[in-house]
Amino acid sequence: MMEWAWLIPAMPAIAFFFLATAGRCLPNWSAIAATGTMAVAFIVFWFVLADWFSMSALPEVKAFGFSFDWIKAGGSTFTWGMVIDPISLVMVGLVTAAALGIQIYTWSYMSHEPRFTWFFAVHSLFAAAMLALVLADNLLLLYIAWELVGICSYLLIGFFYDRRPAAEAAKKAFITTRIGDVGLLIGILLLFAKTGTFELSAIFTMVENGGISETVITAAAVLLFLGAIGKSAQFPLHVWLPDAMEGPTPVSALVHSATMVVAGVYLVARMFPFYEHSESAALMVTLIGAFTAVGAAAIALVVTDIKRILAYSTLTDLGFMLFALGAGGLTAGMFHLLIHGFSKAILFLGAGSISHGSGQTDIRQMGGLWRKMPITAVIFGIGALSLGGVPPFGGFFSKDEVITAVFDGRGWGFMAIALLIGFMKALYMGRVFFAVFLGKLKPENEHAHESSMVMLAPMLVFALLALFGGFLALSYTDGYQGFGYFVFEGTHQHPFHLNKGIAIGSIALAVSGFILAWMAYVQGSLKTEPIIKRFSGVHRVLINKYYVDEVYQWVIDKVVLVFGRFIAFFDRAFINDIGINGTGSIVTTTGRFMRYVQSGKLYTYAMGMIVGFLGLALAWWVS
Amino acid sequence: MNGLESVLLFSLVVTPFLGAAVLAFFPADNHKLIHWYTRIIAASGLAIAAYLFITFDTGDSLNKYIVDFDWLPSLGIRFTLGLSGITVPLVLLNAIIFFGGVLISWNVDHRPKDFFVWLMLLVAGVYGVFASRDLFFLFFFYELAVVPMYLLVGVWGSSTDFGTFLRTKEYGAMKVMLVLVAGSVLVWIAILAMWVEAREITGIADFGMAGLSQVEFSEGFQKTYYPFLMIGFGILAGLWPFHTWSPDGHVAAPTAVSMLHAGVLMKLGAFGILAVGMVLLPDGARFWAPLLIGLGTVNVIYGAISAMGQKDLKYIIGYSSVSHMGYVLMGLGALDTLAVDGAVLQMFSHGIMTALFFAMVGVIYQRTHIRDITILAGLGKKMGITGVFLAVAGLTSLGLPGFSSFVAEIMIFIGTYRTYPVVGVLAVVGAAITAVYILRMLGAVFFGPIDENKWKDLTDANKTETGVAALLTGFLLLWGLYPFRIVEIIDSGVVPIMERLGS
Repeated sequence: MMEWAWLIPAMPAIAFFFLATAGRCLPNWSAIAATGTMAVAFIVFWFVLADWFSMSALPEVKAFGFSFDWIKAGGSTFTWGMVIDPISLVMVGLVTAAALGIQIYTWSYMSHEPRFTWFFAVHSLFAAAMLALVLADNLLLLYIAWELVGICSYLLIGFFYDRRPAAEAAKKAFITTRIGDVGLLIGILLLFAKTGTFELSAIFTMVENGGISETVITAAAVLLFLGAIGKSAQFPLHVWLPDAMEGPTPVSALVHSATMVVAGVYLVARMFPFYEHSESAALMVTLIGAFTAVGAAAIALVVTDIKRILAYSTLTDLGFMLFALGAGGLTAGMFHLLIHGFSKAILFLGAGSISHGSGQTDIRQMGGLWRKMPITAVIFGIGALSLGGVPPFGGFFSKDEVITAVFDGRGWGFMAIALLIGFMKALYMGRVFFAVFLGKLKPENEHAHESSMVMLAPMLVFALLALFGGFLALSYTDGYQGFGYFVFEGTHQHPFHLNKGIAIGSIALAVSGFILAWMAYVQGSLKTEPIIKRFSGVHRVLINKYYVDEVYQWVIDKVVLVFGRFIAFFDRAFINDIGINGTGSIVTTTGRFMRYVQSGKLYTYAMGMIVGFLGLALAWWVS
Repeated sequence: MNGLESVLLFSLVVTPFLGAAVLAFFPADNHKLIHWYTRIIAASGLAIAAYLFITFDTGDSLNKYIVDFDWLPSLGIRFTLGLSGITVPLVLLNAIIFFGGVLISWNVDHRPKDFFVWLMLLVAGVYGVFASRDLFFLFFFYELAVVPMYLLVGVWGSSTDFGTFLRTKEYGAMKVMLVLVAGSVLVWIAILAMWVEAREITGIADFGMAGLSQVEFSEGFQKTYYPFLMIGFGILAGLWPFHTWSPDGHVAAPTAVSMLHAGVLMKLGAFGILAVGMVLLPDGARFWAPLLIGLGTVNVIYGAISAMGQKDLKYIIGYSSVSHMGYVLMGLGALDTLAVDGAVLQMFSHGIMTALFFAMVGVIYQRTHIRDITILAGLGKKMGITGVFLAVAGLTSLGLPGFSSFVAEIMIFIGTYRTYPVVGVLAVVGAAITAVYILRMLGAVFFGPIDENKWKDLTDANKTETGVAALLTGFLLLWGLYPFRIVEIIDSGVVPIMERLGS
């Protein structure tokens, strides 16, 4: 089945081309075409996975390659190829499952949307590009897919293009990530210039045997990480992700939480040998990840729009994953990526279900909704508890893995930060859950209703994954000795281990986070107003997202665009009007004077001759 | 003249000439006949060019399908046509743009006969430059391509008042004409100098490029005369700081002329630098390469920033052409096989892309009579098809993978980065700035709420316009997804040149 793995990205790509060209004529087929092809891709994934486990070769040899020539020029050949190894398998499983489930959810959620076909077309293109990204065996194909998921994100955020905020958010998302992509592309060019190849395996071999100098490794690692900063919305390029919530909710669930935004994390995981060989680059990853996680978690505690809370929690979790990767915790980071994907998907789909059923998006307008939408409440609760890190939910296992990895790699100080992030995660997850579902039902929400089974079914499946996914970490048979062993196949195995002290500490913090949130939003013994009043300055800074957007906006309006207008003016007034027109007027003016020389009057010519003769005579006499 | 391909190449160049001559005797008021006649001429050209492209054999590709007649033996002038791996795609480009331009001109009803006569002469000139293997005729065709521009812009163009300044069609036409003629004077000086010098060395009078490329010009001669070719041809390619004719020309030109102007005319310049300058004066090319790549970099960044500061759709795209031609010049200046391959592909790809841009801008302008992006808003609701195709051109322009510009640009990036890392970095930055002005333009014109009252009767692109856009988009996608064949053809033409240059 492995040789059929190319079908995984090809199926949704076919769906895209079908829908983009013929979709207008067959509107009823769009959902079937998109979901059907996605289902085939999902099934192929399981066969490939089974094949992977049945192959008896050594892990190093097991990676399966497949390629065809794309360009052959100037003595170089560029290929499109795939690599099937544990990291790509994890990503393919996550992407196909999430895309399939969310497409089914979309049938109902977007059913009254006139541009239904276009939505499924771009959704399919996104899935194809994302799958190509995670399967790419070379940096060129990875970059191609990376840009394509970016443009899909642009198109999906701007889906409601006649709304100005959506259009602005789409533009912001694309341009901000493009800034990071400059770094990514330069990093790729640097590696090509130094190694003469885009092939990942060849590059890694050179990294291992010293074929690339330390400086180049560090430079490349940092440049590639710039791409990850953009795509995974880390500080200082994080500003686009919260605004991206202008897109339809299924998009937020798939693209802006479960899959595309983890591409940056995936990139760091994929290029892990670089960060193993460059301590300073790894430290940069850790610091940026931790900084973003803490900063975003603080904002998640104060914003009131339900999707924005989830967006800032996504920023936190992405930072948390990078925190682990930078500390050397490859398996921990990948595991959190997987669990987070399913947990966050149900939170977003739940948020969609809530606003679909009640028409509200601000958590201050909600409360007591569990009476109206009990199934959504249970599913949302599972997601919140999972990401809040309460055992036995999946998020507990992955969070604990991360904290342990940070402790092993970076010591006590960083572990304390990781624990703090864990506590804040529990606090904001508790806040959003309690504020929305518990407490008193507001009269204006009396009409709220539970969503259809088409929407709830995929949520239930993801909820089961979030609930039991954590147990993937444990060892069961010789064939599957736990997630850590799976990802690090063979020599670098890193089985799941529970550090009792850390586990107890993190459980205590998580539970106390939820209790505090309960006290504040349900029981009412903890009043939030006095705290806000007491720290009104801090609160204002957080509500305004540290004023980062304002600073960027100022730079764009007052520096970038002004500079653009200045150059445009300079070009017209100086280069053109003085340089080009000026040359023209010199010629015409000269002509106008020369006219007098060619007047045709004899006495002017005679005068000229006399003056010339006298001049020459004078010159001869002087010399 | 032997073989079917030679006959086809000859007829490809001659057809628009004869077509124009015959058209001159048509009744001037039968518009339908004139349009259909021109469409058939353009379509036959496209068929021939496509046939030559498809059947092109990449083994021994420097001189193919030779057509050779004596013309003025005492001066060594022969009428020689031939194709190489570089020119086959460019000839196809010209055929595509001509066909698309004729179709998009369905609404020209002011003296259509004269319009198409001049348009055909322009196209004949372009075919001739790409196909000529003799410098005398290359120059002749080069001038032939420039002169019709004056009338096409001056008569069928439009004047625009920008508030603080005025751009009349007469000004645009005059400037295009004078600046391009100034460039061709430099080229002519260099051609004559080579002819004289070659006769001194070999004793044979010869304008043929095959013969001249065998002559060992002294290094001093090459260093002196290469700049004439580089600047002279460079002016036509929009080389900074001689680029302002191009945006102003666009603002004044009618749609089809803008398509040909940015689509193929600017490529003549870049083609000249490569096929005349770098082939005949390799030492000069090597010596002056840093200047070319430096100016190319200025083109990229300066053009992109200028485009960001514009409000008029045609100025935005005009400056984006300046920026994108910078990638071509940069690729040529890198003297790296991959970069030069990329530069040639970029010529092709930019030609198609910018033709699509101007076609769609023409559609918008024809319906709204506005090109100011601060006034247009939310047109996507009424002009969905136009919006999609303008977005396709825009996304191609910002280097989105899947469209052919990405392939070209990545090859240029690789080639320049490994020869001049700083230039490579700036090239990538330029692509990011492109994203800013393109998305700003698309967002301003098509997104946001629409003024329903003002645009009550606004119609979308009609079938002809959609067809043209779909044709152009097809080529962008074809070579964006599967560039193997076209790159193989280009590479077969570039490699011999690069071997001569010794890199």
